[in-house]
Amino acid sequence: MNVIYELYKLGKLANKRHPMYESSKYAKVFIYIFAGFWLLYLAFFGILFAFGFEGESVEPYHMLNMGLLFVLFFDFVMRFTFQKPPTQEMQPFLLLPIKRMRLIDAMLVRSGLSGFNFIWFFMFVPFALLTVMKFYGLWGVITYCFGIWLLCLINNYWYLLCRTLLGEKIWWLLLPVVVWGALALGLFLPEESPIYDFSLNVGEGFITGNLLTFLAVLAVLAVLILINRWVLSRLSYQETAKVEDEKVKHVNDFGFFNRFGEIGEFMRLELKLFTRNKTPRQQLIMISSIVIMFVLLVSFTDVYGDSMSTFIYFYNFAIFGVMFLANVMSYEGNYIDGLITRKETIYHLLLAKFYLYTVLMVIPMILMIPAMVMGKSSFLLCLSWLIFVSGPVYCLLFQIAVYNKNTLPLNTKLNTRVNTNAIQNVISFAVFGIPLIARFALDALLGQNVTNIIFIIIGLGFIATHRFWIMNVYRRLMTRKYVNLEGFRSSRQ
Amino acid sequence: MINIANLVKRFGEKVAVNIDSYVVNNGDMIGLVGNNGAGKTTLFRLILDLLKADNGHVTIDDVDVSKSEDWKQKVGAFIDESFLIDYLTPEEYFYFIGKVYGLKKEEVDEHLKPFEQLMNGEILNQKKYIRNFSMGNKQKIGIISAMIHHPEILILDEPFNFLDPTSQTVIKHVLKKYHEEHQAIVIISSHNLNHTVDICQRIALMEHGLIIRDLSNEHNSAEAELEAYFEAKIEEEPIKQKEPAEEVAVELEGVKADEGATVKEE
Repeated sequence: MNVIYELYKLGKLANKRHPMYESSKYAKVFIYIFAGFWLLYLAFFGILFAFGFEGESVEPYHMLNMGLLFVLFFDFVMRFTFQKPPTQEMQPFLLLPIKRMRLIDAMLVRSGLSGFNFIWFFMFVPFALLTVMKFYGLWGVITYCFGIWLLCLINNYWYLLCRTLLGEKIWWLLLPVVVWGALALGLFLPEESPIYDFSLNVGEGFITGNLLTFLAVLAVLAVLILINRWVLSRLSYQETAKVEDEKVKHVNDFGFFNRFGEIGEFMRLELKLFTRNKTPRQQLIMISSIVIMFVLLVSFTDVYGDSMSTFIYFYNFAIFGVMFLANVMSYEGNYIDGLITRKETIYHLLLAKFYLYTVLMVIPMILMIPAMVMGKSSFLLCLSWLIFVSGPVYCLLFQIAVYNKNTLPLNTKLNTRVNTNAIQNVISFAVFGIPLIARFALDALLGQNVTNIIFIIIGLGFIATHRFWIMNVYRRLMTRKYVNLEGFRSSRQ
Repeated sequence: MINIANLVKRFGEKVAVNIDSYVVNNGDMIGLVGNNGAGKTTLFRLILDLLKADNGHVTIDDVDVSKSEDWKQKVGAFIDESFLIDYLTPEEYFYFIGKVYGLKKEEVDEHLKPFEQLMNGEILNQKKYIRNFSMGNKQKIGIISAMIHHPEILILDEPFNFLDPTSQTVIKHVLKKYHEEHQAIVIISSHNLNHTVDICQRIALMEHGLIIRDLSNEHNSAEAELEAYFEAKIEEEPIKQKEPAEEVAVELEGVKADEGATVKEE
């Protein structure tokens, strides 16, 4: 049996038969159109660079080669959204008469052959045909594209390593942060960065078919594959040997919420969801780290201008709510049957979420104090964002509860892809887009102080009427509860 | 009282539930038996309004379950793990359920006392989250949580699953005692004929979505008939799928149960 081919076929079937993919033919069409659009967009960029870099003192391909690290960084980040690592697929095969290392090798090969590693051809091939071909002929184009593909493979296995480790412990996030951070420092700090020259030489080596360049790249690739192989083999043993006997030393009951009746019970439940489950806890840590980083950058540097600062202030207030409310009810999908058979529990749960996430707005407010002290932001501005986010932004996000029918596992590794439906995506985009557009427009027309007051008034209006719009959400959710329950059930792991 | 009328549920081509009329009166203790795929769990999900029926309705005390939530205060149910909030400890879960039904902590503690033997010292005070318990103990937690608020209607899907023989005996005793003390409607489904016949006064036999027998079980009288039925099944041809109730023209050798149920019979 050809293990690689069999795994490849099964992987294709798994994607095709995913409940979210099967649930809507419109989603399938949309996915293909979306993918097609982005591939054409890449081709457009390839052509744009070919003509855009002309007239400089160096050839266009020299310019692009100097910036290869930017391409690789962008590729690395994109993979987190679109590419699934293989560790979670190994379990069903571990008891079959297939050698474990053969299984791991098959998965690594499959990862390397993934279509994602060929995406950049859509940019580099037209680019190379327009720029490299006139000097080096078709052979130069072929060797150049082959070299780029090898770089994509390196990035693929580098991403795989980071994602696998990140799935085990959130602190492995520091590995790519340190590596990419060091490269960024090497690029931006020196006046004439040697990294640009290195990147240029690598690209040149690809174009000219330099054997040494290819050997060096293959060596790096081989090392990464071997490291991945070793890591995966260690993890596969841990996975099967792991006995989850989680004894809790101290059960924090969050007794403070006893005084708030049934709503307090659900607020307590929500806090326990975050503190006792790996996935939401890791999300909280990651987002908190990003928010702190942004606040420090805004407070103590001049890296960001005014408009970017506006985005960051809004982001800091909105992101906690957006992160968890963009998938509102997804975690509850694991036990929704038990909740919904009890009267109005979902309504109380939604209320509890609103209260809790509104109170949690205090955290970004406190984090923004350095920016206020440094004169980069004002108390009124931060207060206006706090109240506006707790009002209309949350109102918009809670609409997702009506349509969300996708269960998220509570204790999976962070490397599990999150599936969202079209409405969730539209609302998530709107949540960021509409307030920012409104802010920029009103700031320009009326000035910041008046805009702050307008935002506060609108926010207070939504907060004061929260029971009405949450009840509306609840009623609409209950109207389509069968569809949602079926979705939660079929997407449960 | 639970009233099922013209209830039909299809999954694609397959008719999972197809019940013309079935009534469960106050104080009934019913065992629902049938082979895999008979439709027992689907029926429970329809009663609990977790599934939308394609036709017909279920009423609890004249309240259509799909149109109101008032019946939920009277019902306690446990079907599977998806009912459990597994990142809570059992104590936290029981108090949470109790709070939802308006019980104070002290009342919950009091209501837990009859289950001490069932819990066998393995559930409370373990400092473990529900997710880290064995399947059997999770089953016990689910059953207890369904009963903790003393519901008027108790629905348990395969309560004997995952339980060791001793626990199965204990749960039988608990259910019987609960039924006697509270005169509650108790509906349990099970593959275990012996247990079901031991405790239920009435046995409903399901096959391909139909309730094909509604048997009175005084002095375990239903046991022989059920055993004979399942042994005969081995040599029978498969039963054909029926059309929905309004389209069927089937000759019935109707057997009216003691309590007034009308059943379909092959």
